[in-house]
Amino acid sequence: MTPHPAIELGRQQTTLDGLSPRIAPALRIAGAAALAIGGALGLARQDGMQLFFRAYLTSYCFVLGMVLGSLLLVLLLHVSRAGWGVVVRRLAEVLADHVPLMVVLFLPIALPLFWGSSTLYEWADGQAAAHDELLRHKAPYLNPMFFAIRAAGYFAVWWLVARFFVDTSAAQDASGDPRLTVRMERASGPAILLLGLTVTFASFDWLMSLDPRWTSTIYGVYYYSGAVVGAVALWILAAMILQAGGRLKDVITVEHYHDLGKLLFASVVFWGYIGFSQYLLIWYANIPEETAWYRDRQSGPWLYVSLALVAGHLVVPFFGLLSRETKRNKAILGFWAAWLLVFHWIDVSWLVMPNLKREGFPWGPIDLCLAASLACFYLAGVLRRAMDRPLVPVRDPRLAESLAFENF
Amino acid sequence: MIEEPTSTEDKEQAPVVAGLVAEFPSPEALVAAAAKVRDAGYRFWDAHSPFPVHGIERAMGIRPTKLPWLVFAAGGAGAAGALLLQWWTNAVDYPYLVSGKPLFSFPANIPIIFELMVLLSAFAAFGGVLVLNLLPEYRHPAFSVRRFVRATSDGFFISIAASDPKFDAGAARALLESAGAAAIDVCYAPAGVPRLPAGLKWSLAVAGLLALLPPLWIARQRQVPSDTPRLHIIQDMDFQPRYAPQGVGRFFADRRATRPPVPHAVDVGGLQTDSHFHRGQINGQWAATFPIPVDREQMERGRDRYNIYCAPCHGLAGEGDGMTHQRAVTRREPGWVQPRSLHAQNVREQPAGRLFHTITHGLNTMPGYAAQIPAADRWAIVLYVRALQRSQHAALDDVPPELRPALLQESTRP
Repeated sequence: MTPHPAIELGRQQTTLDGLSPRIAPALRIAGAAALAIGGALGLARQDGMQLFFRAYLTSYCFVLGMVLGSLLLVLLLHVSRAGWGVVVRRLAEVLADHVPLMVVLFLPIALPLFWGSSTLYEWADGQAAAHDELLRHKAPYLNPMFFAIRAAGYFAVWWLVARFFVDTSAAQDASGDPRLTVRMERASGPAILLLGLTVTFASFDWLMSLDPRWTSTIYGVYYYSGAVVGAVALWILAAMILQAGGRLKDVITVEHYHDLGKLLFASVVFWGYIGFSQYLLIWYANIPEETAWYRDRQSGPWLYVSLALVAGHLVVPFFGLLSRETKRNKAILGFWAAWLLVFHWIDVSWLVMPNLKREGFPWGPIDLCLAASLACFYLAGVLRRAMDRPLVPVRDPRLAESLAFENF
Repeated sequence: MIEEPTSTEDKEQAPVVAGLVAEFPSPEALVAAAAKVRDAGYRFWDAHSPFPVHGIERAMGIRPTKLPWLVFAAGGAGAAGALLLQWWTNAVDYPYLVSGKPLFSFPANIPIIFELMVLLSAFAAFGGVLVLNLLPEYRHPAFSVRRFVRATSDGFFISIAASDPKFDAGAARALLESAGAAAIDVCYAPAGVPRLPAGLKWSLAVAGLLALLPPLWIARQRQVPSDTPRLHIIQDMDFQPRYAPQGVGRFFADRRATRPPVPHAVDVGGLQTDSHFHRGQINGQWAATFPIPVDREQMERGRDRYNIYCAPCHGLAGEGDGMTHQRAVTRREPGWVQPRSLHAQNVREQPAGRLFHTITHGLNTMPGYAAQIPAADRWAIVLYVRALQRSQHAALDDVPPELRPALLQESTRP
């Protein structure tokens, strides 16, 4: 096959040339500072370390959702042979290619388990677990060593999937070989399967085991569906920010935003569908060991957070994004993307916090510090990735189709 | 280039001009021409191409479709209808408690709301597309032009209908020519009444009649008396896999379908911790007192139960001369023993608990009545028996003072 000819889009348009290389290190320093402030605030309070680690886990899983959600979106574009999305696929790749960073950021969650700390996970306390019938039965699965081995497995899968798709895409930038597109399409199906399984079990391990007596088989889908909402929202915002900075001006059009808006709408509805499926079954069966989890989320301040999630993560954006006009209006779409990004963070916090913090306002300065810290680390990584490659797969065989894309 | 009409099949009627059909060499030419026709102010016209052509809507000046509003309204109606239906059926018309949930439980209603919303939305989208596009249309006039069939393979066409208020054959033709048409044809309204394929009507009628047979058969099955079980159309939960009592089961090792109670299990109400009430004994001695209230209500209850269960043998007054006894005497039943008179000295001297014990477990030929008569009722019977005994051995002091003169007067009568 003949290499695909490059389409001249202009370097100014498709790279971040001219952006100061100091921004990423500055972001890292800001992240470290926010982490230190959060830690200090935690140490100053009596139960502060628990709050600190829960807040850390919240924001970690939020950022992880961005990474894995973006990775899934890349795979979705390949598996559906989407012509429309080629111009925005590189952005998703840039947002997804951060598995090593997530490994480093995972250490504060995993390492304390090995010196017997049960600050985060109740099951890690061997003494308490030995006296609890249920925890004793779960101990062969929920123990620090197996926990770490599994985590290593998840990270290995994610890293391999991300490496393959990001590197193949980069190789195509150089060679223009259309066979690479076919290769990625073939690999995308199995990769989605792998990703679905690993994210399911990762969410079981890292989030669901916060409540080690409670189980829900749909939990992984719930977490991942929310993560995809956040990832699409971030995707849209990334495209808008780049365009505001003068990049990709003529590349991403209202037609692409329209389709991104459809994806955002669909993922919001899917999240609601999954969340309700989990709730309905537990509500109907009304078995105490299952309802306990919702009881935590229906008492105290979390009742209002739950209601806010139903409204702000589903009902209001549903009607807000329903019309074609709102999806084709950049300002309105950008508003909903930012709105849903915030609500996805609230959603993750709603998974993590309720069985620890039962009174008072759900969030405090520690949560804000850690959200800011992990966001800074992540954005620094995103910037570094974005600056060393074109922002568009410049020699993708479907780029011309994508550039000329129109919705009917 | 102008061609004569090619459609010559219907010669018996003068063909009615339905409009003009122009072919264009490329999708780009089609878009450019569509913009010209639009600007000329035509309303009843259309563009035809084998595949969707980008920008054609704008070039044709097609306004945004109303379909989304139709779908939205239908979806809303579906959701509201589902909610109303469930509220009416579950909470108002036929209140039926499920799992202890409130009669009107919103979470349980959401799946139905969702489904009906989707269903009606889909109907509205499907039907709306047909109606808004004036479909189905089997005999579009453009098909009277031979070359028009290429609109589904490689031809690009614009048709202008003669019904358009601005239509003028000469002007429209000039416009299409100036727009770059490669060929322009006049199309004609389909002549004559469309005919159905031969035999279709009859086949449909026969099929319709045959389709009536199953419901008729079912209706007959449901009306006509029969010895065999009826055809069971709606199964509900009428036939379920189950084990017969005392049957053989396959699940447990002992192959018993009926499970024996686990060791030390006590059935509901079987604990019987109150010795006085359940056995008539206090500290191993027959109780002389009653564990039930001694009042008129219990007395009435006791009489009621006594007349049902005891009187057939012991007699309404407790003399041991009930109907059973009288009949046995009449028939000279061999070996018949007269039921005990409740007024016998030894019976009168028995404590209440002993009488209760006798009713419960029986004595001599009398069977126990624990299975038929609950403990509280057995006590009520004992109470009534005590009253009967008292009635036959009463002293004058037992009679209220105001009634005594009448009683005495009666006893001195000859």
